[in-house]
Amino acid sequence: MGLSSYISLKDVVFSRSGRRIFNGVSMEIPRGKITAIMGPSGTGKTTLLRLIGGQLRPDSGSIMVDGHSVPDLRRKELYSLREKMGMLFQSGALFTDLSVFENVAFPMRVHTDLPEDMIHDIVLMKLEAVGLRGARNLMPSELSGGMTRRVALARSIALDPELIMYDEPFAGQDPIAMGVLVKLIRDLNGSMGLTSVLVSHDVKESLSICHYACIIADGKIIGAGTPAELESHPSEQVQQFLQGHPDGPVPFHYPALAATEDFGLAGGVL
Amino acid sequence: MIDKIASLGHSGISMVISFGRAGRFLAGVLSGVPRPVAGFPLLMRQLYSVGVLSLAIVVVSGLFIGMVLGLQGYTILSDFGSEAAIGQMIALTLVRELGPVVTALLFAGRAGSALTAEIGLMKATEQLSSMEMMGVDPLRRVIAPRLWAGFIAMPVLAVIFSMVGIWGGMLVGVEWLGVFEGSYWGNMQASVDFRDDVINGVIKSVVFGFVCSWIAVYQGYDCVPTSAGISSATTKTVVYSSLAVLGLDFVLTAVMFGNF
Repeated sequence: MGLSSYISLKDVVFSRSGRRIFNGVSMEIPRGKITAIMGPSGTGKTTLLRLIGGQLRPDSGSIMVDGHSVPDLRRKELYSLREKMGMLFQSGALFTDLSVFENVAFPMRVHTDLPEDMIHDIVLMKLEAVGLRGARNLMPSELSGGMTRRVALARSIALDPELIMYDEPFAGQDPIAMGVLVKLIRDLNGSMGLTSVLVSHDVKESLSICHYACIIADGKIIGAGTPAELESHPSEQVQQFLQGHPDGPVPFHYPALAATEDFGLAGGVL
Repeated sequence: MIDKIASLGHSGISMVISFGRAGRFLAGVLSGVPRPVAGFPLLMRQLYSVGVLSLAIVVVSGLFIGMVLGLQGYTILSDFGSEAAIGQMIALTLVRELGPVVTALLFAGRAGSALTAEIGLMKATEQLSSMEMMGVDPLRRVIAPRLWAGFIAMPVLAVIFSMVGIWGGMLVGVEWLGVFEGSYWGNMQASVDFRDDVINGVIKSVVFGFVCSWIAVYQGYDCVPTSAGISSATTKTVVYSSLAVLGLDFVLTAVMFGNF
């Protein structure tokens, strides 16, 4: 693993329910930068985050995070490593029985012995960073989708992690909420010196903030580089994804029998 | 024919795998050093949720079952001129059998299904995953307090059920049908043995509490994280718990009262 890489994946193979999700994926995620992992739905982008976080184990290959081989870590070591990671889940994953304040305070209460007044101040600072200091007494059920993700973001940076992983942060957001999240991800990365991994299929937003990006399809990486390099990438499949063309190397039609056969039309009348 | 045998074998293997997973799950929940300071508030919250909130259904059911026992007991025993033994009959029936068994069935329906649905929803909404990613083990933080709460609450609920049932039986037998109150309590005191009857009944409810809670938390944790998956897991909790309670009751009764 290079010195500048925070995460390094080498020849990762992973299958689930008899289906090969990754077939020898290798990538380097640089320290202190935003790396976007993009690809069509169902290509295993979220699975990749779970492999990095040690929630899943690869069939073969190595996954190194900050010098630790994640699949080889013992349970206690893995939980210890996760204290340096933050993850923003697609649904926000706030604890529904806790208020916004208590959700953000949760990691501090579990992992630190900080006095209550200090936890109070840190929580308000984190909520201020995402613009929701005034919402601290609300319950998760009272929040909009965008606010939920901002609270989840505040919670994921509560312990000042070194790495933060965003799972589809823009999915289902209105343009204003999306703009807010784009700004927050960029600002937090800059101000806290985080290593950020952004999984998304929102091409425009992702490329606007990432330093590097890679596109996954068919269990492997089909394109990687800076946003400018990707825009001029020669692969037709990469261009189809970036431009959003409905037909191309990824066909519009799901594989099926010939239409004449399916509709029972003899002699190819269709 | 071969297909049927293969299908039977497949079901058997699936069942063994399922038992193995449940056993590993239980070992994961129970392993590790207990942290009383951090764990006590979590346990108290769950005791309130599975214990205190189950009180209403347990008390009302206990009252009516005691009253029905009083009525049936009087009708049957008066044919033999033995209605004075109604207190003894009600107390032994409740303390030995109906208290632990019916409380466990009510517990599975009220608290067990709620535990499964709650944990299943936490899984479906990625709350358990987010806890893992924060370096917090959900087995210790979410599952263990719920398992222990069920284990502790069940015997207490069963004792309350039996007490209320005995009182309900007295309402019908003594207050309504006119059995002499001294006979009701006196026969009961003379025939109910604390160690053989009361303690054995409590042991039964401890076993049922553990099994019902284990099934409930395991089904929630292992469910498919979709609405259909949670619904199926909740149903399984009630069905498996009920069958386990009734089966175990036979085994425990044979061991405790069989006199072989």
